[in-house]
Amino acid sequence: MTTFVASYQSEWLKTKRSLAAWLVVLGGFFIPFILFWARVLYPDKLRKEVVSPTYWEGILGQSWQFMAIFMLPMGLVLATSLLTQMEFRNNTWKQLHTTPQSYTTIFLAKLGVLLTMLFQFFVLFNLGMYLSGILPPLVRGISLPKQAFPWEVYLKTSSHFWINCLPIVGFQYLVSLQFRNFLVPLGAGIGLLLASLIGLEWEHGHWLPYSYCPYYFFSLRGAKLGTLAVDVFFKWALGYFVGFTLLSYFFYVLKKDKS
Amino acid sequence: MYCIETSELSYQYSRQGNELNRVNLRVKEGSIYGFLGPNGAGKTTTLKLILGLLKKQQGQIKVFGEDFDPHRLSVLSKIGSLIESPSLYSQLTATENLSVWQKLYSCPKTRIQEVLELVGLGQTGAKKAGQFSLGMKQRLGIATALLHSPSVLVLDEPTNGLDPSGMVEMRELLKRLNKEHGITILISSHLLSEIEKLVTEVGIINQGKILFEGSLGELMQRQRSAGGIRLDTNNNAAAIERLIAQGLDARQEQDKIVLPLLARSEIAQLNRELVQHELDVYEISTVESDLESIFMTLTHL
Repeated sequence: MTTFVASYQSEWLKTKRSLAAWLVVLGGFFIPFILFWARVLYPDKLRKEVVSPTYWEGILGQSWQFMAIFMLPMGLVLATSLLTQMEFRNNTWKQLHTTPQSYTTIFLAKLGVLLTMLFQFFVLFNLGMYLSGILPPLVRGISLPKQAFPWEVYLKTSSHFWINCLPIVGFQYLVSLQFRNFLVPLGAGIGLLLASLIGLEWEHGHWLPYSYCPYYFFSLRGAKLGTLAVDVFFKWALGYFVGFTLLSYFFYVLKKDKS
Repeated sequence: MYCIETSELSYQYSRQGNELNRVNLRVKEGSIYGFLGPNGAGKTTTLKLILGLLKKQQGQIKVFGEDFDPHRLSVLSKIGSLIESPSLYSQLTATENLSVWQKLYSCPKTRIQEVLELVGLGQTGAKKAGQFSLGMKQRLGIATALLHSPSVLVLDEPTNGLDPSGMVEMRELLKRLNKEHGITILISSHLLSEIEKLVTEVGIINQGKILFEGSLGELMQRQRSAGGIRLDTNNNAAAIERLIAQGLDARQEQDKIVLPLLARSEIAQLNRELVQHELDVYEISTVESDLESIFMTLTHL
């Protein structure tokens, strides 16, 4: 009987050279790369910024500003759907379901790989933010930032965003496992994201499962949207994730045709 | 002992009509079982049920004497399969594709190169599976099915889309696997001619019902007995009356009289009889029914 570890390794191997894997790498470095050039091209501004005692917080805010509202949710919609739909695209469900492993193992191994890739994205994005802050002064021959790198703040912010985007992973996983047509999870994801963005100022905006990343970002800026406190978003996000995952599991296991 | 055995297996996709109707299939250990039927006859549905890809509705499936459902994992570890088109990850190489399955079957890594050599894909190197020809993809599919040294191979139309030389190669490979490695093979096809040189046992299915199951020898026997005599006279209607009066099963088919196969002396006697009754005999010939026409007759009932 195949163990979870073997199943996870097998799932991980499938991501090699996949579009989703490239999306994670490119998505992780895209905004830091643009901000790197923005700093390199405007050295006078950079000279003032590096002496600021909140240099790194500035970089963190700038980077997440572009990432949190649209790019991260959209990237997740794409990456989760692409990765999960790989079996439909390659016609491999029938082969996978004739291997000696339980459906639970397959389900959890796939979900495990999705969460690992999400983690990988956050690691790359944080590395990108650090490099976009440290390299421009070196390129321009300007003194390095005075402020020590506040890794605790970066870690805390990233872990909050990680939890806040879990409902997106859960819902996209659910839809992508059920529908062969890639446009279904993509359309559902874009639709929910737009609905969540439109509903941000609604008093019940927190009911919308794709709204927690933007809410958290605005809370970092001190703006209060909606009616809930920041730490309540996490509970809603986790609740939605658990709910979507359970639904997804039951739909997957009970599917009559597994070919 | 039967390697695969189904009893009274029925399945319906929708409420209208049965896709499979009480299918009883018995695949002997060590045999090459040809599962034949026209497109849409129920072959793929049967094979998917045997592999657990479709949820069983009615009937029983046993593999190596074990009920499928309670022993799903141990049964699947003994089966290699290729259902319809081959399953492969287009962005991975042949070796990487097999590594995906090698981890799941926990078989030694050396097995990957072994099966690649066996199917003639040992030299594909860094070429991605998406760039393979259809024949290469089919062979990689067979390599996947063979990776964990299964005791039985379930192949659904594995020669679909192959050119004639590819079909011959595939046939030779399957014969070799059966003879040298003792692997039981259940192979489906809609063309009898394609697998008659390969199989030892045959099952014929149409509209979800098994029409024939037995050895290739039994089917050949049916071929012989399905043969007959063709007669042409100056008055076929009168000749038929005469022959029926003598207790023969004579009928008219396309301006000729058709009779069941008779001994040589009986044919001579019949000729004398007709001439004595002033019927001119223009032609007496034997009709041999080939396997293909038996298959067509069975599936067009």
